[in-house]
Amino acid sequence: MSRKIYHLVAFLTIAALIVAACAQATPVATDAPSPTDTQALPPTQPPAQTEAPPTPTEAPPEPTPTEEIIGETYKIGFAPAITGPGASLGAPEHETGQMLAEQLNAQGGVVGPDGVRHPVEILIFDTETNPDVAVSVVRRMIEEENVQVVVAGTTTGISLAIVPIATEALVPYISMASSGAIVKDPDTGVVREWVFKTAQDNYASAQWQALYLTAQGYTQVCHLSENSGYGADTLAQAKRAFEPAGIQIVYEDSFERTGTEFPQVASVQTSGCQAVVVGAIPPASSNISIALRDALPDLPIVHGHGTCNQDHIDLMGAEVAEGMVSPCGKVMVSDTLPDDDPQKDVLVQYVTDYTAFTDKPVNTFGGHGWDALMLAVTAVASLPDGLDLEAQRAAVRDFLETGVKDWPGISGVYNLSPEDHFSLGFDSLTFVKVENGAWVFFPEDQW
Amino acid sequence: MSVESGLNSKRNAIGWLVMAVVIALLGWVETVQPMGVDFADLTNGIVTMDTMVRVAILTIVLVGLNLLMGYAGQVSLGHAALYGLGAYATSILCVRSGDLLGVPAWVLSSWWWPWLVMIIGMAFAGALAYLVGRPILRLQGHYLAMATLGLGIMIYILFRENLGFQGQHITGTFDGIPGIPRLRVGNFEIWPISRYYFFAWIAALGAIAFGLNVINSRTGRALRAIHDSEVAAQAMGVDVASYKVRIFAVSAILASAAGSIYAHFQTTVSPAPFSFVGSLELVVMAAVGGLSSIWGAPFGVAVILIIKEILRSRLRVVFSGASGEHEVIFYGILLVLIMIFMPEGVTVGAVRRWRLWQRRKREQALSPAQPQAGVRT
Amino acid sequence: MNRSSHQNTYQFLRYILIFLILGVLVVYLGSRKNFGPLQYAQLSLDGLRGGAIYALIAMGFVIVFNVTGIINFAQGAFVTLGAMFTVTFYNLNSPLPKGLHLLLSVIAAILVTTCIGVLVERLTIHPARKSSSLTLIIITVGVFITIQGLSLLAWGAEAHVFPSFTTLEMSDRVYRWLGIVIKAQSFWIWGTMLLVLVCIAYFFNFTLLGRAMRACAVNRLGARLVGISPGRMSLASFGIAAAVGAIGGIVVAPIVRPSYDMGLSLGLKGFVAAIMGGLVSTPGAVLGGLLLGFLENVAAGVTKAGLKDIFAFILLILTLLFRPQGLLGVRKTAIETDGAH
Repeated sequence: MSRKIYHLVAFLTIAALIVAACAQATPVATDAPSPTDTQALPPTQPPAQTEAPPTPTEAPPEPTPTEEIIGETYKIGFAPAITGPGASLGAPEHETGQMLAEQLNAQGGVVGPDGVRHPVEILIFDTETNPDVAVSVVRRMIEEENVQVVVAGTTTGISLAIVPIATEALVPYISMASSGAIVKDPDTGVVREWVFKTAQDNYASAQWQALYLTAQGYTQVCHLSENSGYGADTLAQAKRAFEPAGIQIVYEDSFERTGTEFPQVASVQTSGCQAVVVGAIPPASSNISIALRDALPDLPIVHGHGTCNQDHIDLMGAEVAEGMVSPCGKVMVSDTLPDDDPQKDVLVQYVTDYTAFTDKPVNTFGGHGWDALMLAVTAVASLPDGLDLEAQRAAVRDFLETGVKDWPGISGVYNLSPEDHFSLGFDSLTFVKVENGAWVFFPEDQW
Repeated sequence: MSVESGLNSKRNAIGWLVMAVVIALLGWVETVQPMGVDFADLTNGIVTMDTMVRVAILTIVLVGLNLLMGYAGQVSLGHAALYGLGAYATSILCVRSGDLLGVPAWVLSSWWWPWLVMIIGMAFAGALAYLVGRPILRLQGHYLAMATLGLGIMIYILFRENLGFQGQHITGTFDGIPGIPRLRVGNFEIWPISRYYFFAWIAALGAIAFGLNVINSRTGRALRAIHDSEVAAQAMGVDVASYKVRIFAVSAILASAAGSIYAHFQTTVSPAPFSFVGSLELVVMAAVGGLSSIWGAPFGVAVILIIKEILRSRLRVVFSGASGEHEVIFYGILLVLIMIFMPEGVTVGAVRRWRLWQRRKREQALSPAQPQAGVRT
Repeated sequence: MNRSSHQNTYQFLRYILIFLILGVLVVYLGSRKNFGPLQYAQLSLDGLRGGAIYALIAMGFVIVFNVTGIINFAQGAFVTLGAMFTVTFYNLNSPLPKGLHLLLSVIAAILVTTCIGVLVERLTIHPARKSSSLTLIIITVGVFITIQGLSLLAWGAEAHVFPSFTTLEMSDRVYRWLGIVIKAQSFWIWGTMLLVLVCIAYFFNFTLLGRAMRACAVNRLGARLVGISPGRMSLASFGIAAAVGAIGGIVVAPIVRPSYDMGLSLGLKGFVAAIMGGLVSTPGAVLGGLLLGFLENVAAGVTKAGLKDIFAFILLILTLLFRPQGLLGVRKTAIETDGAH
């Protein structure tokens, strides 16, 4: 018996130590400059740094001399996929959420149109890339935590599972996944009233690819996609976009994200295609690219917008990546954009904040999360004080449908309307190339 | 020794009734909401109706798995795929069969079609298990476990790859099939969630009753004989192969029924829960609940799901800044601890400890004045 | 006698026949894709490389299973840890030349992973050593989940940069010979596999500890009777399995870009390889691994490569149905397996 107790104690001690150490490991932001945010958020002063939801350590000096009314706390339910196979997409979303939560705490929340200040709490849950867990978590957010808006769904499968829950509970839901079927029923074409999304569509990406391929004169291509929802969708959209452009996919196949061998390359060799279009995210995109380059050093490779991360290049090595092209959100080339680009300020600010908060290079998926959360924050900031929960949720939904015009986000400029709950299309992407180990802007005239 | 052998059917019946009453009471709290208290308030928001419905659905799967693993001694590492068969059968036949098979629209929108589909799914799963079971169940011990592992993953990959065909029109590949209708009886819709709770638990209690019946019947005794020693059972005239296949088919039917109920609950079915990890979760629940008793099924599921809910809702309160990664770590550690200290499962382990504690209390009451020196606990 | 030798030749001919039929099928499918001998050679070589990785992981499974009877689901976690620790140590600043730095990181990572394997055994397996094998399997599952969660916390969800051994950079040296492409890392993988195989064989046959472990594997009670402590043997087996798993993870990392969840699928495939080899000996594991990798890759190459996983499990099912004892195992009768372990 005593041995068992010994074991138990040893185990618990180690567990506690690990967890204690790790609980400290959540990033403590150094003195990051306060964000000059968009729309309704008031200008802020240098924040008192805090770690997780609690009060600031010193009373923030308010510019207004009169006593400000503090209203109820607005809650935004945020559920990315922190663990599970989607963690590589969900982790940057998660970190962006943590960063925003800190910024919101530091500036004391948002001020409504009637001057009442409302603290904003971002409740973070993990969907484990499992639709069952996602549904449970979203139900919890809606019923137990009484959130005004739900931001969730790193992948399309999870988002689709959440859609009926949010619709039934009459809660606005912003997804961070890419398929258009999330906001619009594919069979009936009816826009889903309560659902919005932020990630660029794979169709737009495929259109850019078609444009580039036509410009280069390629008519026979191979398409390799990773075996995930994203990969499968890139193939489906590529078929939609390539056919009208007269491009034929002579060989299509999928490959394992964590595979070590790529027998697909042999088939690419014998199929006689002129270029390869790859639908994958790092590390899978890097792995397949290396395999292709080894066997066929001269075959052009075109990627999709999921690869717009520095990882993609670093994991291959700059030599191998040299010359690969892809449509990309502007976040990767923010410093080379012209100054009059409407997104430039927002992008540069996000890049600075994110790299300071996480010590990691910026990531498109984090951008999808930022857009979704900022849309939610902007929407709750528009709420007048004194509404009940149901009315608040309806008002947020209405704002999202009508109040988001020419709104610069990370993934694009949003123009939401009752017929379009998404609005990012061809123009939200741009075309980039890898040069000397970094992404550079690759405008059409240079193709 | 299994707990069951000590209990007679009367104990089981009483236990079942108690459980039914408690479930009904909890459901009543949610529907009527006396004094503004709904079900979730009973546990301060940790356990919700959603959790309870999922416990009910998985209990049905686990009853089958318990019969297979605990009584017949056949390890199955691919059961989530059978669960998925029911879910996909429901979703394909309720949503896509118009395009795929030409089922007329008036059938698709009728109230009885989903119920018929559920039965079709159960029949299909049972038939598949029967056909596949004959050659597979000849294998022993861990070889059988590997075969079920392989089969489970193969079925999962078929779900994920649209049965090998191009396009997405059958199983919807990774994104799955959305838009599954809710269950109805005539015009009575079994929704909102409080109604579904009753429906799911009626099914779960039915499954438990079925399981208890099997245990205490001739079939149950034959299964236990097979578990102890196949050779001896065969020597006694038990048709080992036939029983094994039959119980495998029964467990597949139960899993498929649960899958259909799950599909109507979730209204979107995607392949993620039916992978190898999903099968492993089911085996974990079975082991934690206890394989020697049918009661291990509901309690195993409840323990695992409630642990996860507690971690999800309260871990951030104890360790500020804790998040998904930490939940996973705690879950893993708790799992290991449970298996070290209660290897026979929570139900049997708890009962045993309670009896031990009672016996110790009685002993202390009988001999209060014994000197403590030299007495080792 | 006459009859058994007839049976043996009959069996042998049967396998040759199956092999020929498969070969014809493969060539037919390949011809539809315009495959030439070059493609087949490439697919085979790549498959053997994948197979070598599976072999390394399978060896870990076999060692633990033989000595303790436990199927160690945490083996995949050791693979991940080996690769990730090497990344961490390699990224530490040091004045040493890169090659030496990498070597020291590798050694340190293997040592750390071995310690973790030993710790896992003491803390989780040892207290439960009298429990049923199912309980022990669940415990290893719990350990795997915990280690994976800790890896996610420590190293994040993204893939990491791991230099290839030959060039010490991300891009590897590529050898082209008659149109076939072989990366330099492949030779490291094959070489490591052979080296580990030889070392393990030496260990089990010529050292006292190794022979004691073999004794434990053959008959646990008998080993105890002659003074061998099964607890110590269990400890040693976990340590060795952790080391071998770590080596597998390290040597494959330059190809796969290590991330926190690389252990799950690699572990599963390695497990399948171990079953195919018969779970009885390390040479069996190696054979199983190579065969699995080769068949899987060729099959995926001539058909739809997205279904590569399915081929691995089809092979598993076929093995279990027609030759459950694996390649090198001995078929046990029902009486021998009844009530064992």
